[in-house]
Amino acid sequence: MDTVQSVSIGNCGEEILNVSNLSVFRSGSKVIDEINLSIACGEFVGIVGPNGGGKSTLILTILGILKPKSGTVRIYNQLPLSKGVTGKVGWVPQTASKLPTNVHITVKEFITLGTLNAKSFFLPLKKERLKVKKIIEIVGLEEYTNTRITHLSGGQRQRAAIGKALASNADLILMDEPMVGVDRESRNSIMKLLDGLCHEQNKTIVMISHDLTSIKQTVHRMIYLEEKIRFDGSTIDFPGLSKLAKLRGIEPTHQETDFWETKDSENKDTIILVPGKDGEE
Amino acid sequence: MGLGQELFEWLSPILKEFGEAYPGFLPGEFFPSYFLYEYFHRPLIASIIVAIVAGFLGTFLLIRNLALIGDGLAHVSFGAIAIGLIFGGIGPLLYALVFCTVAAVLIDELQARGILEGDAAIAIFMTGMLGLGLVIMRIWGGTASGIVDGYLYGDLLLVDPKSFDIIVTICVIGYLSMLFLYHSLLSISIDPIAAKVQGLPVRAIRLYFSIITAAIVVSMVQIVGVLLVTALIVAPAATAQLIGKSFRSCVILSQIIGVITVIIGLYFSAEYDTGSGSMIALVSASIFALILIIKTMKNIIVKPN
Repeated sequence: MDTVQSVSIGNCGEEILNVSNLSVFRSGSKVIDEINLSIACGEFVGIVGPNGGGKSTLILTILGILKPKSGTVRIYNQLPLSKGVTGKVGWVPQTASKLPTNVHITVKEFITLGTLNAKSFFLPLKKERLKVKKIIEIVGLEEYTNTRITHLSGGQRQRAAIGKALASNADLILMDEPMVGVDRESRNSIMKLLDGLCHEQNKTIVMISHDLTSIKQTVHRMIYLEEKIRFDGSTIDFPGLSKLAKLRGIEPTHQETDFWETKDSENKDTIILVPGKDGEE
Repeated sequence: MGLGQELFEWLSPILKEFGEAYPGFLPGEFFPSYFLYEYFHRPLIASIIVAIVAGFLGTFLLIRNLALIGDGLAHVSFGAIAIGLIFGGIGPLLYALVFCTVAAVLIDELQARGILEGDAAIAIFMTGMLGLGLVIMRIWGGTASGIVDGYLYGDLLLVDPKSFDIIVTICVIGYLSMLFLYHSLLSISIDPIAAKVQGLPVRAIRLYFSIITAAIVVSMVQIVGVLLVTALIVAPAATAQLIGKSFRSCVILSQIIGVITVIIGLYFSAEYDTGSGSMIALVSASIFALILIIKTMKNIIVKPN
């Protein structure tokens, strides 16, 4: 049972991303099944769902790294990775955990890499230096301009990664689990940063997260993805746990409800979604 | 003549003048000959140029986790050099250039397509071509066996005007290419997906980098030898990483350390009559160890706990 509805809270309103009838297979098994999605400019969208539910697959397909089995992805009405799209899309990987540790690169050098694009991938132009400086201010890393990325905390690294995506002038920023390895305080300030980017700079942000609570506080729109889109609507309407279980096609038992409730009341910061089915992303 | 000849004609008088004007500045009994005699100028210039380019290349190879590709390609070049020595024609270095380029592209392709993970592809190529080289030398070797030793361990006397030209041309093109692609190479090494999304021609850059790597390795073979090429690629870069504060500083330091390594290596190899390659390799490892010890000591003193 799909609850697909388009909510537009974006400031500029124009459609930036359109996904229609998209199915994606990974190593022979169906990960995404016939989903439809439309995201407007200025929206801040959170994608949640269990491991193996297709969140990363969806993002990688939108980026053009994975090819769909059927259906289409259009960014500004164009194919991913096509000429008009590169540079308009920013990608923030699971930086805190995935950045190579053998690279002795400073925050400034790292963010400068974001300014490269199809036309100028050689020596960066001088005007880019000012831009990089400004972005370092936006992400709040002025003190660390010449610090090595590997010496930063998880939260600071995440800021640097966001800065790199911003440096490309991207309108649409896709983020994969940006809160992994980030402590709670930094999590709040990063969320504030992202919220500001959405509201003040009309950036469209789509982020994947396991962590329901922290994204619930900031995103405008939530999508629950488990092979199909089980919920798509404003954050306020995001279903409670027992309703969510129904959407997922699981009949909630008393024990299960108890488990969720105790976990919720004991630890208000994190509600981690338990995997609905086996599988890795 | 080519680029090498131009450079030689420009630098040779300067070196000679330097050697004659400051005899006290150049230590040792035999080392000053590198400056005094024109005969040694080509090897000297080639060694320094190769050290600079190898240092630059090494920093990129380290961040791409490809420290051993130099070794692999050098072994491939050995097979090609054996073919060149026996069957003649275009000269051993050009054979090596062709074989190494093909091998580098294939290794990259095997890795990119996920057919072979990690260094497995390098291992297969390096042993296969080394085997080929040894078999060829065994069967048809004859008088060429002596020269082969030079290629294995490095022999400055192999640097004749023709190979000097090849070495200089490769190094100049390689260096300019890396300078030009500096940020792109860094970008695709750190996050290939992001680079692709930004619109960089990731595939083409990777391919071009493989070719440059192969060419630079070939240019080093006569000076440091097939078995020791990696010493001049990896050790200076690794040493630079110990002290460099940014990627840029690592790149610059790596080149400087490379040059220092080569000069000290040439000095000792001249004085103690050892092969140039082995002494350079020994010096480069020693410099790494020395810097590591100093750094560790400094850390202990600065942070007593």
